Amino acid sequence: MTVGTRRRRASTLTGNYLLLLVLAVIFVGPFIVLVASSLKPATQDVFSFPPDLIPRPPVLDWFIRAWTVIDFPRYLLNSVIYVGVMVPAYLAVSALTAYPLARMRFRFRTVIFFLFLSTMFLPGELMLIPRFLVVSELGLADTYAGVMLPGLLSAIGIFLLRQTFAGVPQELDDAARIDGCKEWGVFWHVMLPAAKPALAVLAIFGFISVWNSFIWPLVVLKDTSKYPIALGISYLTGVTGTDVRSVAAGTVISLIPVLIFFIVMQRHILEGMKGAVKG
Amino acid sequence: MPQQSGSDVPELAPVADQTTPHPPRQRIRTGPPRGGSPGVRSPRASRWRAQTNHPAVWTPWLYMLPGLVLFAVFFVWPAVQALQLAFYEYDGISAPVTVGLDNFDRMLDDPRFHEAFVNSFLFLFGMMPLAVAVPLLLAVLVNQKIPGIQAFRLAIVMPVVVSMVAVAVTWKYVLDAQGVLSWLVTSLGISDEPTAWLLSSDWALPCLIVIEGWKSMGIYMMIYLAGLQAIPVDLYEAAQIDGAGIWHRLTKITVPLMIPYVAVTSTMAMLDAMQVFTSVYVMTRGGPQDSTMTLGYYVWSKAFEDYEFGYASAIALVLWAVMIILAVVNYQLTKERR
Repeated sequence: MTVGTRRRRASTLTGNYLLLLVLAVIFVGPFIVLVASSLKPATQDVFSFPPDLIPRPPVLDWFIRAWTVIDFPRYLLNSVIYVGVMVPAYLAVSALTAYPLARMRFRFRTVIFFLFLSTMFLPGELMLIPRFLVVSELGLADTYAGVMLPGLLSAIGIFLLRQTFAGVPQELDDAARIDGCKEWGVFWHVMLPAAKPALAVLAIFGFISVWNSFIWPLVVLKDTSKYPIALGISYLTGVTGTDVRSVAAGTVISLIPVLIFFIVMQRHILEGMKGAVKG
Repeated sequence: MPQQSGSDVPELAPVADQTTPHPPRQRIRTGPPRGGSPGVRSPRASRWRAQTNHPAVWTPWLYMLPGLVLFAVFFVWPAVQALQLAFYEYDGISAPVTVGLDNFDRMLDDPRFHEAFVNSFLFLFGMMPLAVAVPLLLAVLVNQKIPGIQAFRLAIVMPVVVSMVAVAVTWKYVLDAQGVLSWLVTSLGISDEPTAWLLSSDWALPCLIVIEGWKSMGIYMMIYLAGLQAIPVDLYEAAQIDGAGIWHRLTKITVPLMIPYVAVTSTMAMLDAMQVFTSVYVMTRGGPQDSTMTLGYYVWSKAFEDYEFGYASAIALVLWAVMIILAVVNYQLTKERR
């Protein structure tokens, strides 16, 4: 390698890092403004020309206010409940439905599969009103169950797991049966472990979408004490009005759990996604 | 074993070949008769199959029971209701009254519907490049093996993880008349006066488009990244030896190989853009002067603010038809290029 190419390499590398840095600022910058606003003391303006992002001194007053002015712990707990029940149930429903579609032969298999897939083309907007009416008719309006049940079935979950199960080598299946496994044993001891990466991806996106769920709970719930955290933040905006610092603080609190979860889990995503699009 | 030929439904071939000495005879008769397709294989082989891959008739249905029940209750039933409601007048309290095609007639001379229709398409056209093209460039950029690249990937994906409500709160600090964007624009001399971006009927819609794009780019980038990592490196090395520059490698190798992924991202982006609701709800409520009124928001507002469930369902049905048409067009476009 000549000195010239090496120098050129070094300069493209610097250029790359500069470009990446600009992108990082675009994608993370707004959150930095948010965190700065939540920490600024009352004596310091939230908005100023030029923007002043250093809180002098940083205070936690607004976090305390956001935590107490609405029933913040309650909303956090609600979201934990929604995630804790919905994500495992969603995985279970998807896996149980996908398994026969991938590995058993029975009448109407293809028809059933395409029926499940067709739900992808029933937009949330179209389903919002009639689903609300159905949930009301079932007496589930304004209940936890009413929030949770309609979210447990998704075409993507069934599709992804069916692809994964279909790709499990037949030898593993046979070996388990020779060892005396019944259908359930094959499902539990062979298929589920083999589908771990796909299940991880579904769990991650399930967590994120339940934690951030907004429209459906907004429609179903009247009782604010059942609100998930995203609705709680919207409610906080209504309660505190122009107190932009408290809204910022509440928003920061709501972001922390989902961000931590994501950062811990993110290495599984690319792994699982590779399997998904391949099929 | 030869049966795994990469088809997505694996051909579950009979295990009853020469290597399987004794299919369990005593079970053969307990296997329930199936109405499937008998006679193609030897009866012995297909009965042995019945034990392995043809369980009892009800077994698959038992596994799928939770899924089927949820499907019937929360998809089929509401879908039927949605179809019906579109031909009724219903306020949620008094009994529904059938009105024939009146709801659809009404759409024809409803200026707010027209406005929403146009805005939805503006949204779509604005979103497509942000969701399809830009993320591909981002993916190429973060696919380099250089130290610290993982942190940059995370930074770009961060908005995906965050709720739209939190994004709305976050961007308010940027888009306020006294916010960062106004400061940038005035100090760069582009404009003399600070603008309250979300309160301007000219700027609110573009702002929403950019925010939606900004929020979802990360997920599309991840999809492309998964695709890029499946491209064999030697393709690029060969091209480099032949003297192809960055631009050539991008347009002649990366883009053509990414077309299947473009099909995925463009479909997702299209469906999302056409039913955009949450960002409108939390940031502008369709205003100012209906400048951000989209079909998705109009459906919601007709149903849950004006309690006109029938009319709202009719609009939703039109929206659904538009989405199906767009999906088909999109499928044809991306199919031809493959």
